[in-house]
Amino acid sequence: MTTLKRFQYLILAAGLVLTSCSSDDDATQNLTGENNLRIEFDNSVNGDDLLLNSSTYTNSNGEVLTINRFNYIVSNFVLIDTEGNEYTYPKDDSYFVISEEAGLSEITLTNIPAGDYVAVRFGLGVDQEKYLQGAAGQGDFLQLAEETNMMWSWLAGYKFLNFEGTFTSPTVTEATSFQIHMGSHGSSLDNYKELTLELPTNALVSSTLSPIVHLAVDANQILDGNTKIVLSEKAVVMIDEVKSPQIATNAATMFRVDHVHNGENLEH
Amino acid sequence: MKYSIKLALSMVVLSLIFACSKSDDTDYFALDENLEVSIPANFPEMHYDISKNPPTKNGFELGKKLFYDGKLSSNGFISCGFCHEQRFAFTHHGHQFSHGIDDLEGTRNAPAVQNMAFQSQFSWDGGTSHLDLFPIIPITNEVEMGETISNVLTKLQADSEYQRLFASAFEDGSVNNENFFKALSQFMVMMISSNSKYDKYVRNETGGEFSELEKEGLGVFETKCASCHKTDLFTDSAFRNNGLPPYPGINDLGRAAVSGSTADHYKFKVPSLRNVAVTAPYMHDGRFGSLASVLNFYNSGVQDSETLDPILKQNGRLGIALSATEQEALIAFLNTLTDSEYLNDKRFAEY
Ligand code: HEC
Ligand code: HEC
Repeated sequence: MTTLKRFQYLILAAGLVLTSCSSDDDATQNLTGENNLRIEFDNSVNGDDLLLNSSTYTNSNGEVLTINRFNYIVSNFVLIDTEGNEYTYPKDDSYFVISEEAGLSEITLTNIPAGDYVAVRFGLGVDQEKYLQGAAGQGDFLQLAEETNMMWSWLAGYKFLNFEGTFTSPTVTEATSFQIHMGSHGSSLDNYKELTLELPTNALVSSTLSPIVHLAVDANQILDGNTKIVLSEKAVVMIDEVKSPQIATNAATMFRVDHVHNGENLEH
Repeated sequence: MKYSIKLALSMVVLSLIFACSKSDDTDYFALDENLEVSIPANFPEMHYDISKNPPTKNGFELGKKLFYDGKLSSNGFISCGFCHEQRFAFTHHGHQFSHGIDDLEGTRNAPAVQNMAFQSQFSWDGGTSHLDLFPIIPITNEVEMGETISNVLTKLQADSEYQRLFASAFEDGSVNNENFFKALSQFMVMMISSNSKYDKYVRNETGGEFSELEKEGLGVFETKCASCHKTDLFTDSAFRNNGLPPYPGINDLGRAAVSGSTADHYKFKVPSLRNVAVTAPYMHDGRFGSLASVLNFYNSGVQDSETLDPILKQNGRLGIALSATEQEALIAFLNTLTDSEYLNDKRFAEY
């Protein structure tokens, strides 16, 4: 972080302190107008950079992975302010593909009302409500999904997570392909998950302030999260009544807020 | 209530459109109008929400053109209508397994396309529960149409005829996936088969006089078949295993392919039996060439398994006991389900 930015923080912080002395419910009152809020998805594997077709990653299942694809859908963004008020981003515009191979790593939420936001909630995948809107609900997102390998075409639906590569293990010594495609199973199993992340620093939005929330996303959680998903047992998991929901639950724990940049026209 | 308000609103919108275009150059394109969707008196409620996509004259015509257009496939020749032929209630006549691009063969028999607006699950395994999104499955399937949605749209966007048709059918007029799927649905929503001899019989209309044999067949059907082939749609939209021994070399798991659940092994959507006399071959894999073989199967070919429907193993007997006279009567009854009005309806015809 540049010294200049640190300086901006100081000024901001000072501003907040000053205003909070003057009245009770204060800081937000001085934040007026609206602005963009960007969210950066910084993909990694257990603390290391996620590099496609390159590095190998060893997990606690004793499996060594090379990753060729890491794409997922995030959706239904809600921002929560200091008072607990929720701002729900317009649903039709609230679906995004994050794709390492396509270089899609940042989303911009536009026209966010001024506020002092302490948490963000969002979904991993596409909820049934959206899907069941049929033609009207999908918009251009459907084509984006198709173009980024996130359309689950034989189910006329979406892959929420597309995680592919090769692996070896003590029992599988030849590099073997793995494919983890996770999504809802038609009308029979809903794998959409929502998660809430507290922000370590409040994100301030106003006509002059446009923050960036920097998320660290740990792909290791998919197989090595709460429930261990062992590729040597099953390397292709697409529709599995037991493992698919476990993968969905694991994947929902991939996200952590690393830091928040507050300020104007930030570059990061 | 809500619905009639919406209808009223759309009437207002329509009359506004009319009002405006009178002064405009009128020959640009035919004015659009809402099509009446009437629910047959003997049918259950419609599942499709037509307030979200009310069929219009131009939307329907666009949907029909799309349904019969090979542009929807990668080689330009395989249209929806290629596998769904009207004379055979929109099935792929003479094909056990449908073949598409490069003569590649699938592993399933094309079901009839009729009364789709009344159904809640589509394809034999219920891969999708929304009619609008169903076309993604055949279009992107590499043995059916082998295309991508994005490519189809690129082709349509480059075509001035389609630009004009989309503009005439939809308010925003753009050639995009929403309007593409809406138009196809409008066509399929209008495809209602409800004027067979049987329909006329239950509605007490002329032309609905049943013979003694047909009445007897209806009686057998009601006691032995209607628990699954329910209502006047002749399906309960549920997934069930009716005891077909798995097809050698294919082993199609049916609903389990979608749910991932072993409890769904070999379960398939209960098919409608409307127009069944013209939709041979039968079952998801088209294994039976005649209705007589289907009845023989129910009588003596049902195979037990963990997921066999309990209805088919009652009182220590597998399958459904059907005497020769019952079989004869059943076939006479099944023949009353043929709706030649539907099979010959010019509105749905390719040419
Ligand atoms: C290559 C042949 C082929 C083509 C082309 C084709 N279909 Fe089908 N259709 C099938 C088969 C086979 C099934 C059953 C699929 C399954 O169960 O997996 C089917 C199922 C359907 C169903 C579901 C019926 C039900 O009762 O669940 C509809 C609706 C349908 N097709 C409409 C279309 C439309 C619209 C198109 C064009 C976009 C199309 N089909 C193109 C072969 C085809
Ligand atoms: C337990 C539920 C159940 C009962 C009872 C039942 N069916 Fe079926 N029927 C099905 C299912 C499920 C299928 C599709 C199976 C498949 O393709 O794998 C089917 C398929 C058929 C087909 C093939 C239709 C086509 O388009 O391919 C015919 C014809 C048929 N049944 C007639 C009957 C008759 C007649 C009876 C009564 C004697 C009957 N069924 C009783 C569940 C049932």
